[in-house]
This record gives sequence, structure tokens and C-alpha cells, in this order.
Amino acid sequence: MTTTTDPVTPDPPVIEGRGNPLRVVARAIGTIWSEPKARFGVILLTAFILLALFAPLIAPYDPHDGSFPHSQDGSAAHLLGTTGVGQDVLSQLIWGARVSVSVALIAGLLATLVAIAVGLSWGYVRAFWGEAVGFIVNLFLVIPSLPLMIVIAAYLHSGGLAVIVLVVVVTGWAWGARVLRSQTQTLRSRDFVTAAKFSGESPSRIVFREIMPNMTSLIVASFFGAATAAILAEAGLEFLGLGDPNTVSWGTMLFWAQNSNVLLTGQWVQLFAPGFMIALFAVSMTFINFGVDGLSNPRLRERTAKR
Amino acid sequence: MSLLTVDDLSVVYDQGHGRAVEAVKRVGFTLEQGEFVGLVGESGSGKSTLGYALTRLSKPPARIAGGRILFDGSDIAALSIEQVRTQRQGGFAMVLQSGMNALNPVRTIRNHFMDVFAAHGHVPLGARAARAEELIAKVELPASVLASYPGELSGGMRQRVSIALALSLEPRMIVFDEPTTALDVLVQHAVMNTIRQLQATEKFTAILISHDLGVVLEATERVLVMHDGVIVEDAPSRRILSAPEHPYTRMLLSHYGDPRAAEVSVPGLSRRASGEVSVAAPTTTPSPRRAAREPIVVSNVSKVYPARRRGAAVRAVDDVSFTLEPGMSMALVGASGSGKSTIAKLVTGVERPTAGSIAFGDLRIDRLHGRRALKRLHADVQMVFQDPYAALNPLHTVEYILSRPIENFVELRGREVRMRVLELLETVGLTPAATFAGRLPHQLSGGQRQRVVIARALASDPQVIIADEPVSMLDMSLRAGVLALLEELRENRGVSMLYITHDLLSARLVTDRIMVLNKGVVVERGDTADVLQRPQDDYTVRLLDAVPNPARP
Repeated sequence: MTTTTDPVTPDPPVIEGRGNPLRVVARAIGTIWSEPKARFGVILLTAFILLALFAPLIAPYDPHDGSFPHSQDGSAAHLLGTTGVGQDVLSQLIWGARVSVSVALIAGLLATLVAIAVGLSWGYVRAFWGEAVGFIVNLFLVIPSLPLMIVIAAYLHSGGLAVIVLVVVVTGWAWGARVLRSQTQTLRSRDFVTAAKFSGESPSRIVFREIMPNMTSLIVASFFGAATAAILAEAGLEFLGLGDPNTVSWGTMLFWAQNSNVLLTGQWVQLFAPGFMIALFAVSMTFINFGVDGLSNPRLRERTAKR
Repeated sequence: MSLLTVDDLSVVYDQGHGRAVEAVKRVGFTLEQGEFVGLVGESGSGKSTLGYALTRLSKPPARIAGGRILFDGSDIAALSIEQVRTQRQGGFAMVLQSGMNALNPVRTIRNHFMDVFAAHGHVPLGARAARAEELIAKVELPASVLASYPGELSGGMRQRVSIALALSLEPRMIVFDEPTTALDVLVQHAVMNTIRQLQATEKFTAILISHDLGVVLEATERVLVMHDGVIVEDAPSRRILSAPEHPYTRMLLSHYGDPRAAEVSVPGLSRRASGEVSVAAPTTTPSPRRAAREPIVVSNVSKVYPARRRGAAVRAVDDVSFTLEPGMSMALVGASGSGKSTIAKLVTGVERPTAGSIAFGDLRIDRLHGRRALKRLHADVQMVFQDPYAALNPLHTVEYILSRPIENFVELRGREVRMRVLELLETVGLTPAATFAGRLPHQLSGGQRQRVVIARALASDPQVIIADEPVSMLDMSLRAGVLALLEELRENRGVSMLYITHDLLSARLVTDRIMVLNKGVVVERGDTADVLQRPQDDYTVRLLDAVPNPARP
């Protein structure tokens, strides 16, 4: 067929209001931004990301540099003091954002992707193997995750960041899968899903183009939940010494601070500062979650946009 | 003195930042003790908003912006919440459309009555059991109902219970908000009769809110017609019928007809006894694309649903046979539970029959296996859904919704698809097509949505369309337009249509043949005009009597 040279077909008139992917993303951000609480969360998260990206410019010293006096209290040269081996705490805190924030976001994203893949297909298919999937998901839900994490991390004792991400993903996807599955089950009996079957759509297209967009807010919420869990799990593992103690992250800072008994020496800042950063990161996630309700509800979106 | 005086009442919905939508605009009327008044309007007319305001049930963002409501001489806006609660006894009450879902599922009906008596203490302890029995008898239910849980009762019975609960406080005024809309047609009729009798014997003042002028005219003495937040007509029912003054009232009335009449017509569509159809002003020129060639042959089909935890297996369809000839339009009518929707599922391959065979040409629908076979069937057999609000994905534009079946069933790509989308939109009367294509479903009205649903069914250029109650969710004034569209498509494209409905008037308007189903069994079949004019079966007669008809004496 040579449609391009067909002179008879007139150009179809331009259809108004067609969305391209970039505009969809921009609109989603706009939706979240329009909720003041979520705006606070977004600003906080952006600050963390900028801190991680520009750590070499912001940090006053090299975090590994142990040439300073040991166990100093805060001073003009070292705002948060120095560690037991003479490293600048503030620089470590800033550099630590790189590992902690990226592990949180990457592990959160991967856990969410697994949850989507498992939860949606499990919820949509009405076949016997759904029972098998259900058994596996339930298994992951009932196994206490911290001991499992410790076992896996100890077993793969190389201790790199990839291992930590892997451990967090393996132990963190089941809850999201469960939630997404029940929402899929509600949506799959809607008329518009039946209508899509009548339109000749394939099951994967029904799941990912018809059902999934209707649970965007749930997916985004589950991502932020997973990211929060991930940063806590990462810090937990490193605090227990299961990470690589030579990387600089908030978890290893806690590990070293505990090892050098900072509470006894009165340098509580070394425990408090990384703990505070982790808490603040979780806070930013929670606040963004306030704004995601409008994402898969165009009516709600319009109302907030008008304000 | 009047029981209720509404004076210059405005109700607004706040939208934040000082913006508000006025739903009820400076409305005024009075109600005498013991009057039965109807309040009629289409969706969005403000009738329910008014009803909620009258009973002090308005919730934010709704707010009374001006005017007064005097009940028995005192302004109800001034009442505190506690005063509103205590006045429910001997004051004003409301029965809701979803009243049957307002019962607590874990408490027996008797407990519901006892709660009401305990809250108000107006019935002495010893007399409560007897009073509950008396009330339940008033709504024509046996006393044994008191011992049951709500889940054990049918929808109609539960709605009767909620009416009895409203009566238990001996209110002087009851507002009924669409009390029968969510019920089955036959049950609707019976519940409405009960309400009428109760009003006559108990002498309370009643306001019946409904979208259905026919129902209201049958029941009430006086009718308020509401349109866009304004009462456009306030007259005795008889005068509304004989000499309607406002054009809106006349428009509403014009959409009623008697399916038994020799000639039935609604604006834009009429049908005579001979079965000739005249469609007024066709919007497209006839362009026969692909007339239906294959019949659908259903022979001795039964469908049995296996027993649930309690109760026996359900025989939804019992030994039904029929043939839908190419180009024919056939109505499948019956009350809810008659098996008509199950037949639709069987014919479209969504479910399989327990026994019997269904064939479309040489395709055995009852033996279809796999998605590919189903897709082959759906290229030729398409469905128009009942609820246009649920049948369109709220996140997809009209263009996306329509382009999917085109890409799946017709070998078109790129801008040809878009041309076809615009063509389809024009076919269903959504012009200018380019502006509709980019819209999201919530930016369309109910009637426009249903046209999109029809356009989607047409996208694969099917031979057969199964329409499952395509107009039951639409306002009266929009129904005729959608029916005329279906009729026109059948005329111009030659598609056959299976029209599933409980509404005999619409069946009369768009079909040639009819099949009446009762509990899965075909009780009557034949030429639509014939069957409806000379019904043989008692069930058909009851369905005909349930059609609201303002002209009935």
C-alpha cells in the first residue's frame, strides 16, 4: 500500500487535546504540586537528590580523609565534628546521601516493578496457577523480613551495594503485589474491561493499558512506601555490619558511630545526624503521598487544577 | 396555615475560593397538610438537592445560600443538630433511593425498629413488639420478616422495611427520593402502590422526587416540574397532563407513550402497527457497508449456575431457542432475573451454555475456544453496554477508545485509523467530530457517552449488535435520540440487533420481533406490535401494566 502518495485522502483534521507522554508526566507532577503537603515533600525530595548529585561541590572535605584530629566536637572547621578516625562528619553526611538515596530509589523502583508484574497478572488471571502465586506471595509476607535479609546478606557476603538492593527487593515486593492484586480484582469486572475484550484487546494490553492507569495513585503510593522501606532496610543492614563498611552511607555512619561508642564520648551528633536524614527522607515520601490521589482520577485532577 | 413554606430558597455547592454553583435557584412553594406532591426533573435539575435541603440533610459542599424553609411555622435552618434529631419523631423524614442498603446487615429487622423506638422513647416498652408488627404489616410484609436479617430479604422488601422505619416515627412529612428507581420494574409498581395507599390512610404529607414524570403523575395530586434549579411549573397533576404550560413539561410528556397503541411515537421516532418505521431527519446518508449475512441460531439452550453456599443451583436460562435473522431486530424482554442478560452473555461468548447450541453462521459460539476464536466472533458480534458511565475507561480519550477496535479488527494504521474514528463519531451524531475525539469520558454527557459506546461497537463493522438496556441509564429526553440512532444504524447498515430491555415502550419503538422471558423460560414470542397489542401471557400483561403512563386514568 502506498498511502503516502495517495492524493485523494485529505489530511484528517487535527484532534484537539491529544496527550503526548511528556505532557502526561508534566500533568502528573502538576497534580502532585497542587497539593501543598505534597509540594513540601517534593521540595524535600528534590533537596535530597540535589545534595546527592552535587556532593563533591557541597561537601567541605573528602569523606574518606582521616587526616583531621580524632573525635572533635563541632567547630567552625568541622561543623558536626570529626569521627573516631578523624573524618569530617558533615562531609560524610553529604556524601552518604549518594548511596542512601540512590539505594532507596532504585530498590523502591525495582520492588514496585516486581509488585506490578506479579500483582496485576495474579489479579487479572482467573486460573489455578493464581493459587500457586498466592502461596509464594503469602510465604514472603509471613517470613519476618529482617532475619531473611540478614540471612541473604550474610550468605552473599561480598557486601556490595547491588547485594543490598537485591536483598531489599526480594524482601520488599510482596506487600505491594498483594495490594495491587486486590485492586486489579476490583477493576477487572468493570464494564470498560469487558468492553476492551469486545474491542479485541490482548490480555496484556487490558492489564497494562486499561487497568493499570486506573491505579496509578496506588502504584505511586506503593513506590514511595517501598522506597521508605528500602532506605530503612539498607540502614538496618549496614548498621548491623552486613554492608561494605568502607562505603560512605548513612547506614555505615551509624555502624561506625555505634562501634566507637559515640554516646559514651558525648558525640551523639554522629548518631543523630544520619538518623535524622533517614527520618527526613521518609517524611518527604510520606508527604508526597498526600498528593497522589488525583493521579488516576481526572475529575479530581481537574478540580485541584482549577483552584 | 401551610405545613411547609419554602421561600426564595437557594442552595449552592461550594467549589472553593469563593466560587459556587447554584443548584437550586430562588425556589418558592407551599405544601398543605396531607398533600401528595411530585417533584420531577432530569438529572442535574436540582431536585434531590432541594429534597435534602428540605429535610436538613444537606452536607458540605452543599449549603443553603438564601431563603427560608418554614416547617409548621418555624425555620428549620435555625434548628440545632440535636433538635433536628428529636423532631424526626412527628416531624419530617426521608426515604432514600438506596434505602434498602441503609439497613445494618448484622442486625435483624426487629432490632432496627427497637433502635428507633429506644432513640425516641415514644412507644412504651411493652407495646414495642406489637408496634413493630403493626408497622411491618402496613408496608404489606409478613411479621416473620422481623426476625430476618437484611441480607435474607429482596431489594423490594428491604425498601419496604426502610419505609416502615420512616413511618415508625409518625412523621408529618416524608420526602421520597426516587424510592423505586433501583428496584425491578414489577416490584417498582407494587412498592409505589404501597406508598400511595399509605399516604392515603396515614395522611402524612409526602413529596415524591423522581425523574419519571409518568410515575409521578400516576401517584400524585400536584406536580412541581424542576429544570436547571428552577421550578418551571407547579400545577395539579390533571392539568399537567391536559394542558402543560411550560415547554420543558411538554417536552418531558412527549416522551411517554403506550406500547399497546396502534401508533407509537416519541420525538424523532415513530412506529405504526404494520411495523413500518420512520426515522426523522437522518444524520447521515445511507451507505450500506456490510449488511448482516449470517443468522444467529440459538437452539435449546440452557444455562445453570452452580449452587452457592446456601440454596440450590440457579437455572437462569431454560431451553430457549430462537433465530436472529440477518437484518432483523428482536427484543428480549423480562423483569430482572428473567435470564435476558444471561442470553446476551451466551450469545457473545462471554459464558458457555450448560446445554444446547448457539451458532453464528458456521461458527459454533458455544464451543469457542481461546482468545483468537473469541476475537473472530467479536469482529462480527458487538455489544452496547447498559451503563455508559462504567463502560468507558475514564482515563482514555474518545479517540483512543475508538481506535483500538479499528486497529484490532480492521487492517488500518496511522491516519486512516484517525479518519475512521472521525467518521464513526459523525455516524453517531457527535459533531464536530474533531472536538469530541480529544475529550475524556467525564467531559461528555450521559447521552454523548452512550453514543461513543455505540460508535465503539460499530468500529469493527459488525453484523450483529447486542444492546443490553442501552437507554435505561439515560434521561427520558435523551433516550429517543439514542433509540433513533440505533434504528437508523440498522436501516442504513443492515446490522441485526438483539435489544435487551425491561422497557416495553422502547422495545416497541425499535424492534420487529419480541420474546418475553420469565425465569429463563420464553413465555411469549412474535411480532412486537402484535404481542404488545394482544398479549396472551399474564406475565406480559403485568410488564405492560408496569410501564408508567401518565395518560392512564
